[in-house]
Amino acid sequence: MIRAGGFLAALVLLWISPLVLPISEYTHHIVGLTFMFMAAALAWNWLGGFVGQISFGHAAMFGVGGFVAARVMLATGLPFGLAWIVGGLAAGVFALLWGHPTLRLRGPYFSIATIGVGEATRLGATYWSGFTGGSSGLSLPLDGNPTKYELYWYGLYLLAAAVAISWWLRRSRIGLGLLAIKEDVEAAGDLGVNPVLYQDVVLFLSGAMVGVCGGFYASYQAFIDPSDMFSFDRSISLILMAVIGGIGVALGPLWGAVVFVIIQEFLLASYSQFYLGLYGALLVLIILFEPLGLTGLAARLARFSRVARFSRITR
Amino acid sequence: MGEFTTLAISAVLLAGFYAAMAYGLGLIYGVLRIVNLAHGGIIMAAAYLAWQLFERFRIDPFLAIPIALVVFFGVGVVIYLGLVRFIPRGPAGAVQSLLLLFGVWLIIRNAAYLLFTGNEQVIQTSYATSSVTILGGGFSVTRIAVFGVAIVALLGLHLLLTRTYLGKAIRAVAQNPDSCTLAGINVERVYLLTFGLGTALAGLAGVLASTLFAFTPSFGAGELLKSFVIIVLGGLGSIIGIALGALVLAFAEVFAVYVVPPYLTSAVGFVLLVVVLVLRPGGLFGQRVLR
Repeated sequence: MIRAGGFLAALVLLWISPLVLPISEYTHHIVGLTFMFMAAALAWNWLGGFVGQISFGHAAMFGVGGFVAARVMLATGLPFGLAWIVGGLAAGVFALLWGHPTLRLRGPYFSIATIGVGEATRLGATYWSGFTGGSSGLSLPLDGNPTKYELYWYGLYLLAAAVAISWWLRRSRIGLGLLAIKEDVEAAGDLGVNPVLYQDVVLFLSGAMVGVCGGFYASYQAFIDPSDMFSFDRSISLILMAVIGGIGVALGPLWGAVVFVIIQEFLLASYSQFYLGLYGALLVLIILFEPLGLTGLAARLARFSRVARFSRITR
Repeated sequence: MGEFTTLAISAVLLAGFYAAMAYGLGLIYGVLRIVNLAHGGIIMAAAYLAWQLFERFRIDPFLAIPIALVVFFGVGVVIYLGLVRFIPRGPAGAVQSLLLLFGVWLIIRNAAYLLFTGNEQVIQTSYATSSVTILGGGFSVTRIAVFGVAIVALLGLHLLLTRTYLGKAIRAVAQNPDSCTLAGINVERVYLLTFGLGTALAGLAGVLASTLFAFTPSFGAGELLKSFVIIVLGGLGSIIGIALGALVLAFAEVFAVYVVPPYLTSAVGFVLLVVVLVLRPGGLFGQRVLR
């Protein structure tokens, strides 16, 4: 209850702060985009962290969500929020299409299959230029598309929804079932947890949320092209955010997304030729020294300071 | 009929290369229960090594194979000793090893971009364009040579695994590491040598690939995926399984030109994978791939 209260307070603060604080336009935009990344990283974590099925192909749903939302807006003139939701649903269904068969695979086998999904979807999208505009991309309608300034609040709503689902998934019966599946699929099955159904539900939620994020991103950029939306780098970035923040920790990826955006905006702006290596080195270092990322580090620091305080008392 | 034979022969030639490419990944997974996600990166790096040896020292790619084997055996040993050794075994370490080796792959790719830029490279040997005629179809000498090398490598590996003490130890550890400790096998050492061997095989595949295809630093993702498809299709049990898996994939890809546009042939392997998973979740030839 206290955490929920704190979270609501944080939401309210974030909601009003751009109205009262003198925040630069650039920061305002970047924070809005960060909200979207946070939501997407949380959604990746539902599958990658809660179930332990690492996906290297979530860019596929990001792209499907973005392009379907853009097409819906162009064709029907539906409000952008509804278009995002349609895009998200399409992405969720798309995730089930490939995920229902491949989720029978566990661990590394599933992961490599997702590399294939990501690549096949990217190729398909690039060549299906009637829908995606091919390599020349797609522009969103000028009227009806929100400005980057307004998108800040929509990003916040997206984040709030993702956090709420994260909590629900962790606390509910489904969450317990997911933990059981992560530990031992067969034992979970014996206890009456249907692994296929549970994983399908999570995959749909994860895919749909990432799809809505894709729709948000399409509105944010006002122009999208397949090589960006479906890029392997986009899948990698979701993994990195989750790993930096703490893979499997309910809200860990939030902090990972913040760190990721900081790296992206400040470090890589000047050293773009090193970004792959930097991501790789981060992955290697975190996995070797602190597999739970920032969350693990925070826990370690808390333990350390408790020990320090204790030793001060005894001395 | 003529076209069919030609396509069939090119599929067999391709399958030889695929089998050699997949074996390194399968060996490491079979023994260490780790999927070497850096496999594609090693293949790419070996292609660049062959290219550098050819451009700088005029060493023919096929003569560069022994060099690549030694170099990448060393690379594998270093990756194992420096990184993989610290990851816990079993399901707990599966996710960690995956992400760790993925990180290694990204680093290798970045290094290649910095050293060699993103431009496409090819190795132009003097015999690159010569071909011979078999059953009415023309086949390049390079592809036949690659097939030959792949077969020799697979046979050598088979002999190593079945006729030597190290081979027996590797197979024993694949079955049950705990009993191996009891029998006096140094399991940690077997892990190290297997990782080195698997990486050396990826190096071999990379050198062979450099004679067949143009490559960039992002080369290797497709090769990783194909190797994986072959392992799922064929199981991890034997050379026969790998060879069958490679044949199935190669035939599917080669004959796919009849049904799908050329740019989608690289997706054939993946579609095949999903179809097999739906119809036979245990793989085409047995249950061992699913645990």
